[in-house]
This record gives sequence, C-alpha cells and structure tokens, in this order.
Amino acid sequence: MATALETVREYTGGEYKYGFVTDIEADIAPKGLSEDVIRLISAKKQDPDWLTEMRLAAYKRWQTMTEPTWQKVDYEPIDYQAISYYAAPKIKERPKSLDEIDPEIRRTYEKLGIPIKEQEILAGVAVDYVFDSVSVATTFRKKLHELGIIFCSISEAIQDHPELVRKYLGSVVPAGDNFFAALNAAVFTDGSFVYIPKGVRCPMELSTYFRINEKGTGQFERTLIIADEGSYVSYLEGCTAPQRDENQLHAAVVELIALDDAEIKYSTVQNWYPGDSEGKGGIYNFVTKRGACRGKNSKISWTQVETGSAITWKYPSCILQGDNSVGEFYSVAVTNNRQQADTGTKMIHIGKNTRSRIVAKGISAGTSDSTYRGLVKVLKSAEGARNYTQCDSMLIGDKCGAHTVPYIEVRNRSAKCEHEATTSKISDDQLFYCRQRGISEEDAVALIVNGFCREVMDELPMEFAVEARKLLAISLEHSVG
Amino acid sequence: MSALRNRTAEPVPGFAEALERLRGEAAGSSGRALEQRNAAFERFQALGVPTPRVENWKYTNAASFANRPFALAPRGTVDPDLVIPHFAGGHKARRLILVNGRTVPQFSHLGGLPAGMTVRPLAQVLAETPELVDRTSVNDEPEHSFEALNRALVEDGAWISLEDGVALDEPLQVISILTEAESAFMAHPRHVIRLGRNAKLRLILTTVALGQAESLLNQVETVEIADGADLTIDRTLEQGQGRSAITRSRFVLGSRSRLQQTTASIGGSLIRHEMEARLRGTHSEAILNGLMMPQGTEHVDTLIRMHHEMPDCQSDQFYKTVADDRGRAVFAGKIFVHKDAQRTNSYQKNDSLLLSDDAEIDAKPELEIYADDVKCSHGATCGDLDPASLFYLRSRGMDEALARSMLTFAFTGEVLERIADESVDHIVRRMILSRLPGGERLAELG
Repeated sequence: MATALETVREYTGGEYKYGFVTDIEADIAPKGLSEDVIRLISAKKQDPDWLTEMRLAAYKRWQTMTEPTWQKVDYEPIDYQAISYYAAPKIKERPKSLDEIDPEIRRTYEKLGIPIKEQEILAGVAVDYVFDSVSVATTFRKKLHELGIIFCSISEAIQDHPELVRKYLGSVVPAGDNFFAALNAAVFTDGSFVYIPKGVRCPMELSTYFRINEKGTGQFERTLIIADEGSYVSYLEGCTAPQRDENQLHAAVVELIALDDAEIKYSTVQNWYPGDSEGKGGIYNFVTKRGACRGKNSKISWTQVETGSAITWKYPSCILQGDNSVGEFYSVAVTNNRQQADTGTKMIHIGKNTRSRIVAKGISAGTSDSTYRGLVKVLKSAEGARNYTQCDSMLIGDKCGAHTVPYIEVRNRSAKCEHEATTSKISDDQLFYCRQRGISEEDAVALIVNGFCREVMDELPMEFAVEARKLLAISLEHSVG
Repeated sequence: MSALRNRTAEPVPGFAEALERLRGEAAGSSGRALEQRNAAFERFQALGVPTPRVENWKYTNAASFANRPFALAPRGTVDPDLVIPHFAGGHKARRLILVNGRTVPQFSHLGGLPAGMTVRPLAQVLAETPELVDRTSVNDEPEHSFEALNRALVEDGAWISLEDGVALDEPLQVISILTEAESAFMAHPRHVIRLGRNAKLRLILTTVALGQAESLLNQVETVEIADGADLTIDRTLEQGQGRSAITRSRFVLGSRSRLQQTTASIGGSLIRHEMEARLRGTHSEAILNGLMMPQGTEHVDTLIRMHHEMPDCQSDQFYKTVADDRGRAVFAGKIFVHKDAQRTNSYQKNDSLLLSDDAEIDAKPELEIYADDVKCSHGATCGDLDPASLFYLRSRGMDEALARSMLTFAFTGEVLERIADESVDHIVRRMILSRLPGGERLAELG
C-alpha cells in the first residue's frame, strides 16, 4: 500500500478552489461585544423594542454561560471581543432588480459558478443571496407572493410581519439553549424567513447562498421557516467562502416549524473555507439547527453535505411532537487535511407513532477527525415510536480518525429502535476490481465514495445533487489512494 | 473551575472516618502501605464523587447511592448452608470465599493447586511482599474516583497468580459474600489476577448478598494476561434490595492471549460493572458477553472500554438487556482503536427488551477509531417482544404471561449459551426463571 499512501499525501495538498476576496466597501461595527454594540446593531436594523429587549436578555444569558467543551474538536480559544459583530455592504437603497447589484458581488458569484441569471432560470430557483450579513437580492418574490408565500430576509420580516416573527422566533431554539445560540440571539443581523400558508405547496426550491466576506467579521445568521397546515416547502442552503488567514466564527441558528400535515425539507451543502493544509484559517461552523414537528402528520427532513469548515459543530434535530410526525436526517460529512467535524442529530420522540430515520456517512482523510454524535430519545408518551439509525464511516489514510457516539434512551416499550454503525476503509477488493477494468485509481475511489454516499445524495434536490457531487469530488480530490 | 466543581460532589465524611480506622488498625501494614492509602485518598478527594454531569456517569447517579454514611464492613460470618447453593464448577473446583470483603480461609478450598499457581488472601501478600503487588498490578494513578477509594480503603481480596505455562484443569471459584447487618456498611475488596505466558485458567466470580442490609461493594480487579495465556471468566453479580455494587475490572492482554468473560447482572438496587480491556499484544482476542435484567426499581449499568492498542487483534462485545417494571438498564460500550492497531476486527452488539412503559433503557455504543485498515461495527436494538411470536404461542393455548416469560427467557438464551461452565449456566437460568412470572412452569418444560 506504499503507493496508496504516497497518493494520499500527494493528493492532500488540494487547494481550496473558491478562495478569493471581494473588495467592496463595508459598514462595520467596532470590534467587541457589549450592550452598546447590541443596541447599535438593534438601531442599525431598526429593531422593534421587543426584539432589542430579546437581544439584551440573550446577551445577559450568554455572559453567564460557558463555551461547550464536550465535543471532540480542538481549536484555539476564540476571543469574542476581537470579532466585529456587524458588517453590511454599503448600499444606499435596496436594488429593485438584479442589474442594480454591485458588479463586484455579482462577479463573486460568477466565480463560484452560480451566475444569478442562470440560477434564476435553472429550474426556477428563487435565491435570497446573503453577502456578509445583509441580503442583497431577493428574486422571484413576486411569484411567491401571489401564492401568499413569504420569502424574505429576516430583517424585512421583522419590519413587515412582526406578529409571525414574534410568535415563532426563539420558540424552537430558545436564547438560553446553548452558548452559541445565545450569542446568535444577541447579535444576529440577518438571515432568511419563510412562511408557507395553509395548504400551499411551494412551487420551487427556495434557496440561500451564504457567503462570509468581510475580514474579521463573524456571521450570525438567523433562519426561521414556518410551514402552516398542509403546506410543503423545500429549502436549500449552500455556502462557499473566500480564502482567509484568520479563523472566522459562524454561529447560525435555524428554526423550522411544521404544523399539522406540513412538510419541510431542508438541504445544506456546506463548503466553507476549511483552512490550508496546516489547518490554518478555516471557518468555525458552530450552528444550532432544530425543527419542531408541532402538528400531527408533519414531517421535517434534514439533508446535509458537509465538506468545508475547519471545525463543524452541528446537530440538526427534530422534535417529534405531533402524532405520526416524521423526522429524517441524512448526512455526508467529508473531512480532509486538519478539518474536524462533530456532527449528528437528535430525534426526540414525544407524539404517538412518530418515526425517525438517520443515515449518516462520514468520510475522513488526511489528518482529520470526524465524529457522529446523535441522540434518539423516546419519551413515555411516544406510543409506537420507531427509529432506524445507520452510521457508516470510511477512513482514507492512516492518520485520520472516525468516531461514533450515539445515545439511545427509550422509555416506551412499544417503541422500536435500531442502530447500526460500521467503520472501515475503502475495500482493496473493490479498488482492485475497478483498476482491473482500467479505471484510474482516483476515479475508482470517487466511484466507490459516491456509492458509499449515494443514499444521502439521492435525498438532495436535483440542482443541489449536481453541485454536491462536484464538491465531494473536489474535497476528496488529492486525498485518496 | 466552577464548571469542574459542578461535575463532582464533595465526598461524605464517612470515607475519611473509615480511613482513620484503617490507619488505627495499621497492624501489619508497612509505612509505605499507609502512604499509599493516604495518597489514594487524596486522589479520591480531588476527583470527588461523580455527578451525572460527568459523561461516564450520565445515566447513573453515583452520589445518590455511594455518598452515604457507610462504615467499614463488620467482620461477619455466614451460615455455610446459605453459601453452598452458590457453589459452582463441580466438586473438584477450588474455592476462595470472601465475607464482607475479607477472605475466610476456613471456608475456602484451595488444596492441590498445581506447582506455580498461588491463590492467597491479598491482605497477606500486601503485608509480606507488597512489592509483588506493585510490580504486577495494572498500576498507575487512578483516574477513577471509586478505584482511588478502593485503593485507600482496601482490606483484602484475592491474589491469584499462575507462572508461565501453568494450567489449572478445574475452575477456580471466588465467592464474594455480603452479610446482613443493622447499619449501612461498605467493602472495598481488590483482586489481583496474573496469568503468566501460556497459562490457562477458568475463573468463576460470584457476588452474592445474604439477608437485609444497606451496603456498598466497591470491587476492583486488575487482570494481567501474558502472551499466549487464556482466561475464561463466568461472572454473576447478584445483590439485594438496598445494596449497591460497583465492580471495576481492568484487563491487559499480551500477544496471542485470549479473554472470554460472560457476566450475568441480575438483581440489586444498583449494579454497575465497568470493564477496561487493553489489547497490548498482537493477535490477542477479548470477548465480553453479558446479560442485564433489572426489575422493580433496580438499576443495572455496564460500561466497557475496549482498547485496541496493537494490530491484528479481535474483540467482541455482546450484551443483552431485559428491563421490566421500573427497572433501568444502561449500556455504554466503546471500541477504541489506537493509531497503530491496523487490521483490527471489532464487534459490539447490544439488544434490549423493554417490557414495561415505566422501565428505561439507555444505550451508548461508541466507536473511536484512529486506524484505517479496520473492520469495526456496532449494533443496538430496543423493542418489546415480537407480537407474531407471542401470537403463535397464544394460538397454541399458552396464556399470555407464560408466553411472554417463555419469549423473554429465549431472548436471554443467546447469552446463556456463552457461559463456559455448566453449573454457572444452571445457576443463572434458575435466577432468571425465578424472576419471570410462571418461571417454575417454564423450568418444568425444560
């Protein structure tokens, strides 16, 4: 296997293809966090009083909390006073059409291979671009508006639909939930808001591209999606970020609420800058994502392809409250070089006949570490609950680690839980078989890895699946043998 | 440091009083032995009693059962007639009996051991040749509260040593008995077991409690299995109401050695069995099987740390759980594959039956892997009895209670099959049947 190891080392030098910095003027708050800074953010965002108070309460709470250390990741301590908590591209007025957008920004997206125009046309995707912290363009809004769907930035929603925001914001992830959620609640500047009215099936995939751009700024997105009775929505989130030398903190909060018979499908492709081969400069991705299946027969499905970030700390969860509700979690986490990922899910079964399904695939290469950490909890009330969990890890090279930390807690005897996990490397037999048929080693590995992840990839919407496969190939390019 | 303080509770003064008493008794213990006790106790105080905020104690609240005013165990005796039913291993088996954590030579039967094999009270070895214990035990500063406490308060235990190539054909049974008592007491026995190269031993470890008492048994075992040695253990952990037992077993395995252990944890307010196996030689194998069966308000907990430190080793964990009434069963097994442990084959399985809505099962099957050429997997399931099987038995005229008992008994069968000694197998079957409704009828059915 000497050759294989050499190949691994030779390949792990793969550079981040999406690394560049866009020069645009930005409006930045002074570094550090204090009540004044929060009031400044609140003023800039023209928050109503209740929100300012919510932020301040969250800030007070945050000051009493300590950063979690239970996760299996290592990083230099974060200096929360060295971060600027607000950065907005300087745009005097909101653009009325895409043509009015700063050409610098548009060029950035073009480099990423997602020209807005094309994106618009491609399968009718409406995109809420987030550039740093303020959304700069929202497309297809009119079409959605006709159906009564609200799809806008959360700042707009706070201004235009305060009753909805106030009712649901923080109802799934309360400010005191965890350290990073509290920080987010105090300083969030923007994010997306979606409301699907009763009985409406959203005709297109809603999508946001997140970008982190301004130097030294943390990004604190807040996403809130509400699917009213009998509605359906599929939401896509994708990320790439410019190359950086400083670590950048990203602490987002995503809340999903599905009422009776509603379904939310939330897909993520995450490809933030993972740091260079020494692990320097990558993004810290500390995200709290949680969905509440409040209504009966509701369904929330998380699909994620995690290839980027220096550190990923994220557990998209489902609270299965309504009877017959369904939670799903499909995940592919790829780590290379010095990346560290500690990711998984929580499925909390409360309602009767609730079902959950977890399929997690971890691929570690280089000197990276990847951990699946998950909880399946069946409460006493969850008559007939059903869970199936499958976690598979693949190791590429002998310097990486793969870990599985599942928790299973069952308090109802009619519940059925199954958990399976395996860890192995790419089978020599499979490789040999491919090589024997003239497939190059790299292609063979890509083929095998794609097969390994297929169950998850199939869950992605078509437009995303294409990009995800590309990302997977890029992340593993130069890492396999 | 406030975060750390939250994670441990201040130990009750009872422990310090016990240490005082042992210091007073100091008879036979050298100055160094006292020093070691003091150091271990300091360590225990520094570590504190873990609260559920400590990850390994998430599902078992140590402070609730251990942090009580226990006194050191009284020197009790027992009626031999009560002990005889627990004899296992056939009439030729050797036997070492401990009452309240101290060896009782007059009950023991250790005649005719092969040359090169020693079975002695640990107290004797500690008094005469303490360096032997220092040299052979899996010794380092304990990172574990109760292990540190054991080292501070140990009075006696079993010293079992086999020289290279020595084999005992018959099993050796160590019975640890706790007696009844008026006031709450604790015992901290420690077993040191050492198998030389190519040595072979079948060990039966029986833990029982007779009569009523509130007690804490905090047992530590250090087991060294040298290259090519083979150790088989059949273990029963049985305690009564108001009694708690923590057993911590640490195994170190050499090249081409083998360990097979089957544990039945049945009955007791709280039973916790911690195992740490370190595969330190190539081509070694460790098999840990077990059955947990909490009923009433019992709490049974198993924690396994399987460390693959060298290449080409194999391990298997197979645990079955049956939780009824308000019982709670916890299984936390971890496979740890170190960097150089290539070609590791490791398997872990935990199947659980949850027979009541008031019972709880918590499982945490973990993998932590740092080598790529490995095959590791784990599986965990949890559910009620299969309705189709139940229906089948009911359709043949069996009443529901008996049908459920039969299926439950069958569920445990896979573990029982792995018990090496036939007489232990019988004892465990009897224990299980006595806890199942209609068990006597099942016994008649054979």
